Amino acid sequence: MSETTREPDARQIATDARDRVRFEEDALALSDQVYRVARHLVGSREEAEDLMQETYARAFRSWRSFQPGTNLRAWLLRILTNLNIDRGRRKQRTPDTQPLEEGDYFLYNRLEASSDGVSDEERVAERLSQNDVVGALAEVPHDFRDVVVLVDIGDFTYADAAQILDIPIGTVMSRLHRGRRILKQAMAESAVGGEA
Amino acid sequence: MTAVDPCAHCEEMMQPYMDRVLTDVERAEAESHLDECTYCRKRYRFEEALRQFVHQAVVEPMPVELKTKLADLRTPLQ
Repeated sequence: MSETTREPDARQIATDARDRVRFEEDALALSDQVYRVARHLVGSREEAEDLMQETYARAFRSWRSFQPGTNLRAWLLRILTNLNIDRGRRKQRTPDTQPLEEGDYFLYNRLEASSDGVSDEERVAERLSQNDVVGALAEVPHDFRDVVVLVDIGDFTYADAAQILDIPIGTVMSRLHRGRRILKQAMAESAVGGEA
Repeated sequence: MTAVDPCAHCEEMMQPYMDRVLTDVERAEAESHLDECTYCRKRYRFEEALRQFVHQAVVEPMPVELKTKLADLRTPLQ
């Protein structure tokens, strides 16, 4: 009798261990992509590194709650954004009122006005530096930045971003719309400054 | 019915177009306008290049030590 009950247990343990190892390998294989997003959700590299370690520690502890076949990268990012909020890293609250942002073509217009009337796609890399972009992104208020980073940097769909941040998809769309405009404004400030 | 300024409409559709969330009909509309309008096409090219640039500009490789630390968090094998 004891033989028959012990056998499935042993098999179960072996299956469990195999699934866990596979889960851990899959999660680790995604770490570069997760870091890419994490790095811009927080202010510094140190914070991003801490957050990554906390995220993976929690993910490895609660691996059973991941449903195989669903999006593991989104699942990891959901843990990460929750930890980021829980740990109070998002000190800066988004003010209730935002300055009215400029239109979608604001950056184009600013570059055009300050560069002999020409401002096509070749001008982008010519006029903007990597630091302009990184600095401008850091200036976007958190609620907007989270969405911009997930969609434009992390290549998540609106639906994935909504799930990760636990907000309605309509909110993702409106924050993305405004966040991108705020980002362009900040890049224009950085690239062109007060001229034009 | 008020006549819609096609370029203003195109500007409104531009980001959703690049996000590939427009319906087939909307996408066809946007593309046919972009085909015939230099003003919008220039801006569209700029916006595409800008997205690409932003996407690349923020890449910061993950530190190797962090990768090791994450691997160390794995459950030890029995």
